[in-house]
Amino acid sequence: MVQITINGHKINVDEGTPVIKAAEMAGFKVPSLCYNEELGHFTSCMLCLVKDDSNSQLIPSCSVTATEGMSVTTEDAEIREARQTGLELLLSEHVGDCQGPCQVACPAHMNIPQMNRLIAAGKFEAALKLVKKDIALPAVLGRICPAPCEGACHRRTVDSSVSICLLKRFVGDENDLYPFEPLPLSGKRVAVIGAGPGGLAAAYYLQLNGYQTVLFDKESCAGGLLRTNIDPELLPASVLDKEINTILSTGVIFKGETEIDALFFQQIQNEYDAVVVATGALVDEIRNWGFITHPKGIEADRNSYETSLKGVFAIGNTLRFSRMSVRPIGQGKEVAWSVSQYLAGEVPKGEPQLFNSRFGKLIYQEISEYLKESVPYNKVSSDQANSNGYTQEEAIREALRCLHCDCRDIDNCKLRDLSGRYKANQTRYAGNERKAMTKHFTSSIVYEPLKCIKCGICVRMTSKYQEKFGFSYIGRGFDVVIGVPFNESVQSGLALTAEIVARACPTGALSVKD
Amino acid sequence: MIEQNKIDSIISEKGRTRTALIPILQAIQREFNYLPEEALRRVSETTDIKPAEIIGVASFYSQFRLAPVGQHMVRVCVGTACHVKGASQVYDSLRRAFKLKDGQHTDLSGKYTIEKVSCLGCCTLAPVVQIDHVTYGHVTSDKADQIIKDFENLKVNKNKSLFRKVDGTEILGEIRIGLGSCCVASGSSDIKDAVENTINQSGLQVKLKSVGCVGMCHQVPLVEIVPVNGETTLYSKVKPEDIKQIVENHFKPSGRFSRLKNKFLNAIENIQTDQKWNGIERYELDIREKHVSSFLGKQFPIATEHRGLINPLDLDEYQQHGGFLALKKVFKEFTPTKVIEKIKTSGIRGRGGAGFPTGIKWELVSKQTSEEKYLICNGDEGDPGAFMDRMLLESYPYRVIEGMIIAAYAVNTREGYFYIRAEYPLAVKRIRAALEICKDNNLIGNNILGSGFDFNVKVYEGAGAFVCGEETALIQSIEGNRGFPHLRPPFPAVKGLFGLPTLVNNTETFAQISFIMRDSVDRFTRIGTEKSKGTKVFALAGKVARGGLIEVPMGMTIRQIVEEIGGGIANGRKFKAVQIGGPSGGCIPASLQDTPIDYESLNSLGAMMGSGGLIVLDDTDCMVDIARFFLSFTQDESCGKCTFCRVGTKRMLDILDNLTQGKGKPGDLEKLEKLAEWTKKGSLCGLGRSAPNPVLSTLKYFRDEYEAHLNGVCQTGKCIPLINYSITDDCIGCTLCVQRCPVAAIHFQPHEKHMINKDLCIKCDACRQVCPTNAVVVG
Repeated sequence: MVQITINGHKINVDEGTPVIKAAEMAGFKVPSLCYNEELGHFTSCMLCLVKDDSNSQLIPSCSVTATEGMSVTTEDAEIREARQTGLELLLSEHVGDCQGPCQVACPAHMNIPQMNRLIAAGKFEAALKLVKKDIALPAVLGRICPAPCEGACHRRTVDSSVSICLLKRFVGDENDLYPFEPLPLSGKRVAVIGAGPGGLAAAYYLQLNGYQTVLFDKESCAGGLLRTNIDPELLPASVLDKEINTILSTGVIFKGETEIDALFFQQIQNEYDAVVVATGALVDEIRNWGFITHPKGIEADRNSYETSLKGVFAIGNTLRFSRMSVRPIGQGKEVAWSVSQYLAGEVPKGEPQLFNSRFGKLIYQEISEYLKESVPYNKVSSDQANSNGYTQEEAIREALRCLHCDCRDIDNCKLRDLSGRYKANQTRYAGNERKAMTKHFTSSIVYEPLKCIKCGICVRMTSKYQEKFGFSYIGRGFDVVIGVPFNESVQSGLALTAEIVARACPTGALSVKD
Repeated sequence: MIEQNKIDSIISEKGRTRTALIPILQAIQREFNYLPEEALRRVSETTDIKPAEIIGVASFYSQFRLAPVGQHMVRVCVGTACHVKGASQVYDSLRRAFKLKDGQHTDLSGKYTIEKVSCLGCCTLAPVVQIDHVTYGHVTSDKADQIIKDFENLKVNKNKSLFRKVDGTEILGEIRIGLGSCCVASGSSDIKDAVENTINQSGLQVKLKSVGCVGMCHQVPLVEIVPVNGETTLYSKVKPEDIKQIVENHFKPSGRFSRLKNKFLNAIENIQTDQKWNGIERYELDIREKHVSSFLGKQFPIATEHRGLINPLDLDEYQQHGGFLALKKVFKEFTPTKVIEKIKTSGIRGRGGAGFPTGIKWELVSKQTSEEKYLICNGDEGDPGAFMDRMLLESYPYRVIEGMIIAAYAVNTREGYFYIRAEYPLAVKRIRAALEICKDNNLIGNNILGSGFDFNVKVYEGAGAFVCGEETALIQSIEGNRGFPHLRPPFPAVKGLFGLPTLVNNTETFAQISFIMRDSVDRFTRIGTEKSKGTKVFALAGKVARGGLIEVPMGMTIRQIVEEIGGGIANGRKFKAVQIGGPSGGCIPASLQDTPIDYESLNSLGAMMGSGGLIVLDDTDCMVDIARFFLSFTQDESCGKCTFCRVGTKRMLDILDNLTQGKGKPGDLEKLEKLAEWTKKGSLCGLGRSAPNPVLSTLKYFRDEYEAHLNGVCQTGKCIPLINYSITDDCIGCTLCVQRCPVAAIHFQPHEKHMINKDLCIKCDACRQVCPTNAVVVG
C-alpha cells in the first residue's frame, strides 16, 4: 500500500494503482475518454491530466501510477483549460451533429427526428407524447409556424426539406389524448398572467409538474393573439379550442376577463408562490409593475427568465417582440423548469442546455451516405395539406424522408457530456477544411468514422476478443483512421464484437442501431 | 496473382512472430516494390500476426507503400537545407515535367513516381533530387527536364567497373576518395571508377583508398592525394575528367613508365568517352582548394577522430589509430562499476537531444537485477537537416561498436541492437559488414578478447517514422508495433524492450565513449563547458559559405561556428538567424549569435541541442515560412496517439498555412500561441512537447514578420501566394525567360522589354533564374 494525497485528501491504495483510480476511490471522478476499465490505459485523449503538486506539471492520471507521498490536484483553472482545449481540438475534427440541425433550430428544441421516426413506424400516439414534451400546442403550430427547423434540415441539400411542420400538425390532429398525467399537487401555487401561446404553455407544464396554476387573462377565452390575430381559415377556432382544452383539462384554473393593474399584480405576487408574466407586447401599464425594463421589454435572465422581482418570471413578447408563436411556446416550457427549480429552493437555471456538435451543411459526397438511412423520393405533396393535412399514409411516407441526422448515442456520449461540462467551443480551433463523412452499417451497429476521436478502445477491444479482422489504425498522425484491414466490411471486421465495441465507444462513432 | 512461395520463403527466413513483421514487410516491398494486399493476407494466414496488426504497421511507417508505384522513384528532398534553397519549386517543376495532375504521383507511362522525402542527408548539395540511386544536387526549377534526360541516358550507359583491389605493397602514394553519402551522392563512385581505370591501365603503383566522410561536404566529391614524398593535396568538387590532370600532376610516369604513357593516355580518353559525365550543372568545378585549414582547425574531433584517415571498414587501420584500445583497457583494468563511475565523472550527456547524463542512465540500467537486459544504439536520425548519425555509422562503424561493447559490459547486457533508419542503406551495409568483421576478430560474440564477456548485436532497420527516434516508440518498433510512444516512467532503463531493462543511447554518444575510456576522463572534461562536456557534432548547412559535418567543443559560440568554421554567409547576404535542433529546436536570431552552444543556453533561448542540425538563415529567408516548414514536418510525423499533438499541430499548421497564403485573420497569432502552449504542455512524448518550439521561437524573435503576414506582406518574398514576379527596365529582350516559362506567361518580344502576365504566372522562378541582367524581380 502507498499513501497518496488527492486534492488534500490522503488515501491508501495498492501499489501500481493508476492515479485516476486512486482519485475515484478518494471521491474525485477524473474525466477520460480513452481509459477503459477492461483494457487499461492508452494515454490518447489527455483529458485526464491532473497536476502533480510537487512540480506543478500536468500528468495523464490514467497512465501514472500512485507512488508513496505523491500529491495531485484533479481540478483547477489550468486543468480546466487543458481539458477545454483538448475537447475543442477533438471537436474541431468531430464531424457530426448531436441533435439534428432541425432540433437545434427549433426555438422549442423539439425532438423532430425522433417524432419522424415514430410517425414512420406508425406510432402516432407515441409521437404526440414526444411532441408534447416540448410543444404544448402542436396542431396550432403545425398550421402557423414558419418552421425554422425546415430551413436547417439537411435534406434540403439532397432535394427539399422534410415537411416537419405538416408532420407535427398531423401528430396534433391525429390524436385527442392527454398524453401526460399531472404530478400530484404539491400545495404550491403559481400564477400565469396572459393566456396567449406562452402563458398556455407555461401553465400546462407547471400544472403537469404538480403546481396548482391559475391562468389570468383579460379576455373571456384563452388563446391571446392566436384567437384574435390569425386568419380563422388558417387556424380554425375548433383546432385552437381542442388544444387549449387539453391544457386546461390538466387542472389549470382559467380566470378570464381579469384586468390586472399594478395593485392587483402586487396582490398576486403576495398570494402565489411564483408568477409568470406572459402578457404579450409590453404596454405602459406593465412598466409600473416594478420591473427593470428596457425599450423592448422586461429585463429577464436569458436562460431562467427570472426578472428583477423575486419569484417573478417573464416570457414571450413581454421580453421582446417576435412573430413566431413557437418562441413563447418554447419559453413556456422552459420557464416551467425555472419556476420548478425556484420552488424547489434551487437557483433557477432553466432547461438544462446540453452541448451540441454541429458541422454545417452536407457536402456533395455525403448525400449518398445520408440517404442510406432514408428514402430517395422528394417531398410528399402537401397540396391538400392546408385544409386536411397529411393522411396517415402520406405522413408515414414523408416521415421516412428524414435522414436521421441526430446522433444515436446522444444520451450516452462522454464527448458531449464533457464538452458541456468544460464549456468547449467547437469552432474555436476550426480547421481549414473538413473531411466528408461516411456511414457504415452492420446488422446491429452503425460506424461513422468522422465522429471518432482515435481513442483506440475498439482497436484494443477487437484484438482482445480475437476478431479475425478487427479494427486497426490505418495511417498515421492527423490522417489516421480506424478501419477494417484489407478493405473488409465493418460487418466482417466486427463479426463477434460489434455491440461490445459500440457500447465501449466513448462517442457516437460506433453506435447500436435503434 | 503473386507468387505465394515468394512470400512463404520470406516468412520462413524472417520468422512468424510479431517482431518479424517489419522485416517481413521490408522484404515483401523489396520484392514487389509495394505491399500487395494478397501478400499481406498470406502473411496473416501463415504467421501469428493478425491482419489488424499488419495493416496498422504497414500504414504507419512511411517506407511502406500499399499501392503500386512507377518503375523509378523520384525523391525530392524537402529537408531544411533543401527547403531554404527552393525545394518546393523544384518539386513543382518535376511534377510539371511528368505532367501530373493534382493527387497524382505517378506519370501516365507508369515509369516515374514522385515523392517528397524529409531528408536525404546531403544537405550541402541542396536542393537534392534522387532518382532511384542517382542523386542530383544543386537542382533548380528549370532543370527538371535535363535531370530526367540525364537519368534516361545513365540507364543506357551505366558502366559499372568492379572495384579492383590494388596491390599496396609498392606504392607511390595514396589517392583517397571520400565515400560518405554526400561524396557518393556527388559522384565520388564515378571518380573512384575513373581513378581505378587510370591506375589500372597505366600501371601506376598507387593505392586507391576509400575514406569516410571528412565533413567537408560542401566541397564534394573530394579527392586527396597523398604522395609518399611530398605534400598532401586535397581536391574538391572533382569531376571524372579532371582525374587525368590530377593523377598526372602528382604521379608522372617516369622512365620506366614512359612506354606505358600512350596506353595511359588512351585509357584516360576512354574514360572520358565511355563514361559520359552527364552531371548536369551539378557542381561548379573550377574552384579547387587546398585543405581548408580553418574549417577543420577550430574543430575538435572525438566522435570523428582521424577523419579522412581511416577506411571505414578497415579494422587494422582503426586499431592502428588507437581503435579498441579503450575496450582492452576496460576489460583489463576496470570493473563495470568503475566504468560507470568514469562515465559519470566525464559528465557526458546524451547526444540525442535532451542531454540526459549518460552515466546516470547506465547506472540505472546496471542496477536492474534482471537476468536479461538489452542495449540499443539509436541511429534513427530523422531531423530534416541532420546527418551526424549517418556519417558516424558510415565512416566510424568500429568506434560506435566499441562504445556499445563498453556500455554493454558496464550495464551487463549480452544483447544489443542497432536501430538504423531505412533511408540510410549505406550505413546499414557498413554496420552489417563491420559487425561481421568484428565477429571474425573476436570483438563481437562470446568471450570477447578473452575477457569472458559475451555480446551480440543485431541490426534492425527502421521503416521511416521520425517519432521512432523517441526511445519508447523505437522499442515499440523493434517489437513489431506501430511506433506509438508511451509515458515514461517506466523508463526503458527499467522496463524497455520486451519488458526488460534496456539501455538506449544515441549513436553519437556511443561514438564518444572510447575516447573517454582510452584517454583520461580529465582530458574529456577539459573540453566544453561546466555542464556540457566534450564535443558535439553538427550538420552545418543552409546559407553558410562552407557547410558540412563539424565537431566542435561545447561552449563554442554561434558566431564562431558561422564565421570561423562556416566561412560566414554565402553570396554576401546578411546573417539573420540559425535554426538549431531541427523540428524540436528553435531559431536564434543573429543578435544573439554570441550565445555559447551548450544544453542550458540553447534551452533558455527556446531552442534545443536536438540531434545537431544547424541551419544558417540569411535575410532572404522568411521566418514564418521556416516555422511553417518545421511544423509541417512534425505534424506529418506525429504518430497520432495523443490529442494535443495529433490535432494541435494540425491546427497550428492550418493557421501558419493561412498566414503564408495571405489568409490570416486577426487573433490568429494569439490562437497560435495558445495552441503552441497546450501542445507543449499536453502532449505525451518529446515530439509533441517540442514541436511548437520553432513556432514559439520565431514568434518571440520575429513577431514583426508574423504581423506583416497578417497584413498580407512577406518581406522576403518567400511566401509565394503573397508575391508577384515582374520585369524591370533592365530587360534587354533576350527572350531567355520566354523560352523557360512553362506556362507561356511571358509574351515573345525580341529586343523589347518583356512583361509577365500575372494571371498565368505560376511563380516557378524559372525566369528569374535565367535572366542574364537580373531584370526579373519578386515583390
